This record gives sequence, structure tokens and C-alpha cells, in this order.
Amino acid sequence: MAGKHINLTLKVWRQKGPKDQGGFVEYHAKNVSEDASFLEMLDAVNEELVSKGDEPIAFDHDCREGICGACGFVIDGEAHGRLKSTTVCQLHMRNFKDGEVLTLEPFRAQAFPVIKDLMVNRSAFDRIISAGGYISANTGNAVDANAVLIPKADADEAMSSATCIGCGACVAACKNASAALFTSAKISHMALLPQGQVERKERAIRMVAAMDAEGFGSCTTTGACEAACPKDIQLTNISRMNREFFVASATKRPKHKDGGAG
Amino acid sequence: MANKLDSKIPSGPIESKWKNTKFGYKLVNPANKRKHSVIVVGAGLAGASAAASLGELGYKVKVFCQHESPRRAHSVAAQGGINAAKNYQNDGDSVYRLFYDTVKGGDFRAREANVYRLAEVSANIIDQMVAQGVPFAREYGGTLANRSFGGAQVSRTFYARGQTGQQLLLGAYSEMMRQVDTGNVELRYRREMLDLVIVDGKARGIIVRNLLTGEIESHEADAVVLATGGYSNVFFLSTNAMNCSATAAWRAHKRGAYFANPCYTQIHPTCIPVHGENQSKLTLMSESLRNDGRVWVPKAVGDKRHPNEIPESERDYYLERVYPSFGNLAPRDVASRQAKYRCDEGRGVNETGKAVYLDFADAIKRLGEDKISERYGNLFEMYDKITGDNPYKMPMRIYPAPHYTMGGLWVDYNLESTVPGLFVAGEANFSDHGANRLGASALMQGLADGYFVLPYTIGNYLGGTKLEKVSTSNDAFKAAEDSVKNDVSKLMGIKGSRTVDSFHKELGHIMWEYCGMGRNEQGLKKALELIPKLREEFWHNVRLPGDANYLNVELEKAGRVADFLELGELMCRDALERKESCGGHFREEYQVDGEAKRDDEKFCHVAAWEYTGENKAEVRHQEELTFENVHLATRSYK
Amino acid sequence: MSGFLGSTVGKKYLMGISGLIWAGFVLAHMAGNLLIFVSHDAYNSYGHALTSGNIIYVAEAVLVLALLTHIYTAVSLTIHNRGAKQQAYAAPAKGAKKVSLASRTMAAQGALVLVFIILHIITFKYGVYYETTVNGVVMRDLAKLMAEVFQSPAYVGWYVVCLILLGFHLSHGVGSSFQSLGLMEGTYRQLWKKLSCAYAAIVALGFIAQPLYLFFFAH
Repeated sequence: MAGKHINLTLKVWRQKGPKDQGGFVEYHAKNVSEDASFLEMLDAVNEELVSKGDEPIAFDHDCREGICGACGFVIDGEAHGRLKSTTVCQLHMRNFKDGEVLTLEPFRAQAFPVIKDLMVNRSAFDRIISAGGYISANTGNAVDANAVLIPKADADEAMSSATCIGCGACVAACKNASAALFTSAKISHMALLPQGQVERKERAIRMVAAMDAEGFGSCTTTGACEAACPKDIQLTNISRMNREFFVASATKRPKHKDGGAG
Repeated sequence: MANKLDSKIPSGPIESKWKNTKFGYKLVNPANKRKHSVIVVGAGLAGASAAASLGELGYKVKVFCQHESPRRAHSVAAQGGINAAKNYQNDGDSVYRLFYDTVKGGDFRAREANVYRLAEVSANIIDQMVAQGVPFAREYGGTLANRSFGGAQVSRTFYARGQTGQQLLLGAYSEMMRQVDTGNVELRYRREMLDLVIVDGKARGIIVRNLLTGEIESHEADAVVLATGGYSNVFFLSTNAMNCSATAAWRAHKRGAYFANPCYTQIHPTCIPVHGENQSKLTLMSESLRNDGRVWVPKAVGDKRHPNEIPESERDYYLERVYPSFGNLAPRDVASRQAKYRCDEGRGVNETGKAVYLDFADAIKRLGEDKISERYGNLFEMYDKITGDNPYKMPMRIYPAPHYTMGGLWVDYNLESTVPGLFVAGEANFSDHGANRLGASALMQGLADGYFVLPYTIGNYLGGTKLEKVSTSNDAFKAAEDSVKNDVSKLMGIKGSRTVDSFHKELGHIMWEYCGMGRNEQGLKKALELIPKLREEFWHNVRLPGDANYLNVELEKAGRVADFLELGELMCRDALERKESCGGHFREEYQVDGEAKRDDEKFCHVAAWEYTGENKAEVRHQEELTFENVHLATRSYK
Repeated sequence: MSGFLGSTVGKKYLMGISGLIWAGFVLAHMAGNLLIFVSHDAYNSYGHALTSGNIIYVAEAVLVLALLTHIYTAVSLTIHNRGAKQQAYAAPAKGAKKVSLASRTMAAQGALVLVFIILHIITFKYGVYYETTVNGVVMRDLAKLMAEVFQSPAYVGWYVVCLILLGFHLSHGVGSSFQSLGLMEGTYRQLWKKLSCAYAAIVALGFIAQPLYLFFFAH
């Protein structure tokens, strides 16, 4: 870890609040250790700003291990920066050269309004999940975990979809700001497991409707989401979602009236 | 006051305590449940599972999380797995064995009855999570797979690749979102709890700051649950997420909840070492690596050669040398301490001298690179990403780092704190791990508390307590709101010259140096001089830019650091008073050949601290621990 | 089903199906036109056979309907998508996460292809009516018109450009349709993508060969 040091110029999007006009401001990151992560480089820039009495650059982050999904902004047009399969907190400065000029922007999507600087509001994702992105299993009623066998291939495939961290890079990278990859990963995860069958159709219909209602765009299969995804969620999920949605819409049963007992 | 520490451990044989207690609990009829409201602060494993279950039962639940989404909670980062006494492997596991392992692993400083209940519900947790669609690893036959974990002699750890915490969190989160969907749970994002409101001696609400708008809000309820995690970030550098803090728990403490065993902190032995001054946090490398990796340092002090150039005869495989029977698989506290000894001797590696090697060369020679990559590929990749070194070609460099806190708010058997109506779950409470937590037990405890304990105990509380209607216009709310607003304007008004982080780093250095892996009287006394001075300076010289009326990250951090500056002092006092070594608490004066020496005569108790007012010394109370089932014995790994 | 057609996914279904109808048509069209390489008579007889029954009206109706559906869903989704992303990045991606030009510019390609289709129909279907007799049957001499039209280098150039564009549109569109229709499962995904490109190349090259042949060799 014998660290070299580099200097960078950053053009950072600064925006005071959701309703304010934003714009780029130039900063110089000096003497950055190559062993630092990108966020640690920004920490240093912020320390300098704060000690001058200026407001630090706001960005979301938390675990800094690439799993919580909190961090994420765009570096030179790429969500999470230049390294594939990597969140920006795991992007280290050894991937940059001395003297580079980098442009930092927040994730752009109407459904992700900017909160401040590089921070956006992604609660639309939570609303999509609450529209059926679950398996109804009341506490204490579960059968023994080994009572339902699941083929390893199915469990592995479901896990690959479930590994989504909800960072929103897919939406950010998509020219249509489509949330298809995020939504489909959850629909796939549950459609692939026996536990997810009962609510499978209802889930597909409701989640797609919620995704549209939030104002995300449609998928045009550019593959930008897949390229930007730090967890390698596959486009296959979107295809599966479309099929689930089609089958569910085509075979949906009408609602029946319920009667009281006794 | 002494009777405040009534642990409410039920009588009867340990196997039937929980069953009998549940039967004895008061119930709330379905129509009345919706008239009761419960506040849950924190939406990690414990908070989300509690909110989901309480919502299902029909209570009106309000959940507060400081993140933009509950899925960011730090439970997400747990890698290895979750223990459960399922005995699917037919290797002799049982509820009793898990109970036994946990009590012993905690170095006999946990409450037997709580631990037994934890072991008892562990199997239900797995059933529950599978039913929710958590994609645990499976065998080709379709059954669940297990792996072994540090210390235990049975395979009882369930896992989902290296992301078990994430999958469990998403499971609990999805159940909570289902209750959001039904309208029983209301979610408030980006709200940080800054005070607990007590009316007529009972917890009746909280004060939060809306982190986006800066607004100070009051929320009332019939009961409050804190599930706000641990306080490892008092060390500044830890494996905790950046936003983990003690603030909610600490503010509740200042309103009357006792704080138990604050000095019990776990230092995890295998983390990626510090690289420099800009470092913001430390990253854990799974314990499982020690199955095939060998830990060593050069024999000579100050040997700066490349590790691959140091011949076998000049290496000290110290864990194998000191613990011939357990070798590289010595438990966490022991392995961490040994690494510290080697670095203190000047034999540490790295530019900082604060690292040891974890070497896979032998394993690669024996099993081939493919096999090693199959077992640890993703961890090796992560290591490579962070350090730029290829662990297939040269040994990993690792060093211990603060990881988990066994201490926390004191709770009784019902998980109720010393403030009636205030319940504490997950890492935020102190209850189940004693002085040292076993690997893969944190996830188990969080979910046990949230799914299987709180729904019963809160029902009992609500069913058996007379609760007057309160509203946020009550004087207690106004007073708490004012005090929070005062704190905020006080912080904003200091306009000093040092950044919040610089104070946090300095506190971290003090804590790590004097209250870290090894503690002694002299050092702790020094820390107790340094911390109040630092706190004093903080309140006169911290610099916060911007204002308090919208998102202000520095202000958020300042509030948390202010609390750490108080908690840190209490940790040192607790460590000073506990004149013995046990689990994660290692007092250098109390050891036998470098091993922890417990004093069961004087310290077989929980220390619970009572806040008595600003700048007044906290009062130490004791809850005696009795061991009727697992007999007190010395842990030895030699 | 109204909810289905109102959704973005439903619209993509319609777009995919209508697109595939046209993709099938252009392949058949291209293949039939290859008869120009055989002889003008063969070409004209094929054209005559196609247009003499009633089936042509059905086919035309289907094609027009598919085209209108394709255009409607494209316009509607494009407007929706522009609304979803109102601000592009100041610095466009250029590294590992950049995506293909063909996939990013489907709407623009589509608009140009539409202009081409309209002009093409005007030029040929509603163009000068020459007559010829093949084996005693009087029929339209489309081959003559075609040979005339492709004497102009500008016309040939315009066709070549538009057909390359059509190729681009198909290379992404065919695979994307299968994706939209939910037929892109794991193992075959790469194969589908390759087939989509091969399909596009065959159609585009097959078409392009015709004006070039007439321009250079068929004086």
C-alpha cells in the first residue's frame, strides 16, 4: 500500500435545495492518496471547505462497503464512476491519474428530485416495494424451513436478483430514467421462489403500476442499467418482469364480494 | 432505587421460562389494538421486524429512521450468517447447546434466561425468514445449507452468499413495507431522534429532527421501542457505517434509562488496516478466512522486507505458536489481542507498523488457486479493490478494528428499560452476548427481539398499564422540544475553528489508545482527564457552517460527536471500575500469561449506570448474575 | 387488459409485436426483391402475383395498423421518457459504462426510417406506371421504374444511408422486442442478441445490393 499522491480538479454540481437552481463549482483536490476511496477524497475536500466556513458538498453515503446502497452520484457521465460492478464508495483513487478533471453530478431523474448537491431523494423505490414487493408471511406462522424444497439453481437465481442494493444507479444511467431493472429484480426474486407464488400475479401488476406512477421512464433495452449496476443485476430480470406482467394481466381474475360469517 | 434493576427473570426451569411467561402475559383484544400506538426508532433488523410484527397485530406503528430508506440500516453489512439451533446437519446441535455456547462465548457475563430464550426462538427465525422469501444458500437436494463459524463445534450458520445481513434486512424490510401498504405502519424517513419524552414516569414519545428541513417534531405514542444499534463509532474508525451513532440511546439514557456494561466492546481481528489520515472507516474481512489463512509477523523487529522474501525460518506464526490446539481459529477477542501484542513489540508490518499478515500461500499450494477462489473469491476481490494488492500473490495485511458493542441500554427480561414503556432491541440493548459476542449471533438476536419477543412483551405492557391520553401539546413535549432546539442553536452558535471530524478523530484516538483492546488503570485515568477537556473544547471551538433550517450534515455529526464525548467517558469509567478481564474487556492488570482473568467473586454482575445530571458523576448499579445451568469456568484455547 | 395497454410494459409489448411484424415484412420484401438479380421479368411477375389477389389488402391493412401502432407507442413512450429524464448529464459517459449508439438513438432512427418509408411508397407504389407483358400477361413494369430511379447517384446514396439506418434500427429492435415480450432468458440471451444483429445485417445488405447493382451494372 505504498501510496502515491495525485491532484485532481473537480467540477461539482452544487444545489442548495430542491427548488434552487444548481450549477457547477470547481474545486481542487490536492495531494490525494491513491489508497483513499473516492468518498474519502471528497471528505478531505469537505474538511477544507468546512474549516474555511463554507458548506461541505452533500452526498449520501453510509456503510462504505458497497452494500447499503446509500452512496451514488455520477462521475464523468457514469453512475458510480468508471469501474464496473463497483459502488462509488469502493472506487479507489488509484483508478485516477494525476491532473484529471472530473465532473460530478447527482443522479438525474424526475422521480429522484435533488435534495442538495449530489444527494437525491430515492424514496420512490420504497413506494414501489410497498406496492407488493413482499411475500405476506405473518410472524410465527411459518412452516419448517426445510418443508419446502427449493432447487439450488432456483435459489441461486433468486439470490442473484435479490442482491440489488437499491442504489438507483440503474435509473441514473438510463437515458429514460427507467426503474425497470430495480422493479424487475424484486419481481424476479419472488417469482422464482415457491413462497412467492401466491401473490405472484398481483405483485407483478401492482409493482409495474407503482413504477409507472412514480414517473420513471420505460425500458428501451439500452443496457445502460446493467453496465452501471454495482451488483451485476442482469437485464434478463426485465424480460422476466414483462412476461410476468403480461401473463398476470391476461389471466387476472375478477374481484368477488366477501360476506360476513355468523 | 436499587429495585429499578429488577430483571424480572421468571421462575421455573430454564426450558419453560419463556413458555410460561408468555402464557402469563396480558393480552390486548383485537379491537383495542388499533387504539394503541407504538413508536419504533431505527429500522434495521430489530426495528423493522418489530414494526412488521406489531403492525400485523393491528397496533398503530410509527417508524423513524435517520436514513433515506430503512434498507440502508447497517444490519445490511453483516456478511457471514445467522445461527440457529436447527440441527439440520444431524451433528448434535440443540437449543441447549446454542444456549451453552453463547453463555460461555460471552465469558459468563450474560443473563442465562435471556440467552436461553434467544436459542429457543432461533429456529423460528429461520422458518420465518424462509417464508418471507429470503434466498438462503441451498444444497442440490433443495434443503438449506449450513456453514461452520468461529468457536462452535457444530454447523449451525445459515447464509446467503456473503450478504446474509442484507438478505435478512430486506426480508424484514419487505414485511414492514407490507404493513406500510396496509396502513398500520407509518414510515418517517430522515428523522433523527434527539430526545425521549416522559409523561407521568412513562415513555410517551420522542422528539426528532427532520434532517431535510431542520424542523423539530414531536411524536406521541403509548410505548417507544429503540432499535438504534451500537456505538462502535465512538472509536471514529470502526467497521460501523458512517451514520451509526449512540445518540438515540444516549438521549434516552439522559432521561433515565440505565446504560449497562458500556465497556464491553468487540474488536474484530480481521479488518483491512488503516492506510492514512484520510481514512473514514474500516472494512471487515470475514472471519471464515482464518480457516485457510495463516497469521504471521516477521521474527525480527523492524524487518521491512517484502513478505515473499522473508524465509519460513524468519516468520513467527504466533497464533499457532501460542495456541497450538486452536491455532489460527482462536476466538475473536484472543486473536485481536495477540495481533496487538505483536505490533506493540515492533514486529507489525505495513508503513504504519499496525498490521499482520494473513497468508494463503500454503493453502494455495495445498488446494490450488481455483479451490481458494471458489471459497473466498469475492473477499479476495474486495480486498484487491480496496488495497490494490492481489492476495493470491502476496499475503493480506490485516489488523483488528472495533466492530460491535455488547454493552447498551439495560433491559429486563421483557426488553423494557428502566424507563417504563421504553423497550430496547437489537445491538442497542445489552442483554444477550455478555462480554463477547459469537460470530453470526447479532442477526439472530436482532430478529429474535423484533419478531418473537417484543410483540409479546409490548402487548403485556399495553394490556396491563393504565395510559392516559397524551398529546404533543403536553408540557413535557414542549419542554423536550425546547431543550432540543436549545442544543441545536447552542451548537450553531459556537462558531469556533475546528471541524466536527477533527474532534471525533481525536476522541477516537483516545478511546482506541486507552479503552481499546487493552486497558489499564493508568491509561483509563488518563483518558478520563483527556475526554472532559476535549468535550470542553468541543463546546467552545467547534465550527458548523450553514444553518439549522435545512439539511446540514455537519450539524448532524456534531450532535452525535457531542454524545460520543459523554459516552466515551462513561465507557472509560466502566472499564476502570470493572477490575477484571472478561471477553472484550481486557484489563492488562488482570491476566494470566496474556489471557483474560475473570473475577467471579466481585464482578459476576451487570454494571448499569444511572445518569444524574450534567457534569455530575453517574451512579453505578449492579444486577447480580447467577449461573444455574452453565457453570462458571475459565475459557482456554491453548 | 386496459391497465395492461396503459402501462409502459404493455406499450412495449405493442411496440415489440408491431416491430416484429415489420421486421418480418422487410425480410420478405428484401428476399422477393432479390429477383431483380434474376431478371426484370421474374421481378415483375413476382410483383404482379403479390398484388393480384385480395390478400394484398389484408397484408397492407396489417402493415399499416402495425406501423401506426409502432409510431403511436414510440411517440407516446418517447414523450413519457423525456419527461422522466429532463436533464441529461453535462459530461456524457465515455468509458466502460457507455452503451451502443444504435440503442441510444432508436427514436431518431425510427423517425428517419418513417420518412424513408413514406418517400419510398410515393416513389414506387404511386410512381410512374410503366407496363410490360410477361408470358402474355400485362402487368406493371416496376423493374423499369426501379432501374430508372437508381440511375441517380443522389437517390442511390440516400437509399444506402437509409437502409444502413434501417439495419441499425433492426439490430437493436429485433432483440429488444424479444426482451420486451419477455422471451430473453439467461443462457440464450447472447445468442438472441447475435441473431438480431445478423438479421439486421442480412436485411440491410440484401436491400443495399439492389440499388448498387442497378446503378453500377444494369445500364
